[in-house]
Amino acid sequence: MGLEEVRTGARAPDRTERKQCWDARDSFYKCLDKHDVIDSMTGDGKKTADKHCANEDKAFHDNCATAWVTYFKKYRVADYQKKMTLERLQKEGANKVGMQGSGDLPGGPRGSVVR
Amino acid sequence: MDTILQVTTKMSHSMAPSRSLLRTFSRAQAQVQTCQRLAFSTRHAFPSSTTTPTTADGPALITPTTRNARFTRFRNELPSSIAGGKQQRRYKAKTVEEARSRYRTGPFSWKAGVLFVLAGCGLVWYFESEKKRMQRRRIAEASKGVGKPKVGGDFNLIDHEGKPFSSANLKGRYSLVYFGFTHCPDICPEELDKMAQMFDLVEAQAPGAVVPVFITCDPARDDPKVLKSYLAEFHPKFIGLTGTYDEIKDVCKAYRVYFSTPKDVKPGQDYLVDHSIYFYLMDPEGDFVEALGRQHSPQQAANVILEHVKDWKK
Repeated sequence: MGLEEVRTGARAPDRTERKQCWDARDSFYKCLDKHDVIDSMTGDGKKTADKHCANEDKAFHDNCATAWVTYFKKYRVADYQKKMTLERLQKEGANKVGMQGSGDLPGGPRGSVVR
Repeated sequence: MDTILQVTTKMSHSMAPSRSLLRTFSRAQAQVQTCQRLAFSTRHAFPSSTTTPTTADGPALITPTTRNARFTRFRNELPSSIAGGKQQRRYKAKTVEEARSRYRTGPFSWKAGVLFVLAGCGLVWYFESEKKRMQRRRIAEASKGVGKPKVGGDFNLIDHEGKPFSSANLKGRYSLVYFGFTHCPDICPEELDKMAQMFDLVEAQAPGAVVPVFITCDPARDDPKVLKSYLAEFHPKFIGLTGTYDEIKDVCKAYRVYFSTPKDVKPGQDYLVDHSIYFYLMDPEGDFVEALGRQHSPQQAANVILEHVKDWKK
């Protein structure tokens, strides 16, 4: 029973451990927001993140399973792209269709999430 | 201004005699009526008293008590013409007004209006509720199909206690089925918390109507023990189901759940699983009713479930 097991994915985190992980993720995101970084895994984004958000990144890794860290970092990018696409579509005058029961269609309120 | 006032007072003066005349006339009429009634009742009273003498104390036709009783009855019968002049006048005025208003408005009174509005509202409410019920039934029927149900189906798994649990265990009650896995980073825990709220809301109104079920998509890591400790954090009544890789794969396929769990994972290797994130509401026969998604708040979802539960009882 230790955080090490959670990090390697040998054991699923419990409620408090999940909370710790999410808090660490949120402060990492906050730091990225401050430096206008969306993708912290490649290119300039990674450089900036390594330079300015190293502490937050370390806490993130310490509190979350490695698979979760990767997932959340990718999710941030995917979520941003989705938001951009929606905004673009709205500018082009696309109508938003009220989704009932099929939330995983594009534009639906956060439907099936690929992770 | 003054002149108008004078005119109106004069008019009321000129009206007064005729009104009082009318009143006296109507009173006279009422007295005639009461007289007739009196005559009738005395006529009616005699035959009964002439038949009574057969009894022992026959000759004493009218004992004081009976006379008193009869007198009071008479008093009651004569409405108010004798009992009290004031009361009578008010009573009469009322009838005249009533008669007049009835003549003026016909059968339309405020009572009729209220009745009309109430009946209308009742009908509208009834048709609306019936329409909603039919819509829900259509949703439920649409997914039933003719032969095999399109979503859901039989399964044989083991529960979080390690005991066998099959689809037969869910028959007879509605079930709320959710697919997930314990290593799920964010959506499942959120959704399971939502499911717990939803379940509590339903349970408060229809205890024991719905069984909450969690089926893992990650059987390699989610054994009964893991499921038990994981689900206990959300709700003590959640039933966790797991099985072999193939069994789980079949269940996911039956429920149309996207299943991407890698088959051969090296021990210690971490991975995540793709899966659909709907709550499946299944009816007591094991047929799919409706999918509840993230767009539903716990309260909304609970209402949807409760309405279906109510429909079933009908």
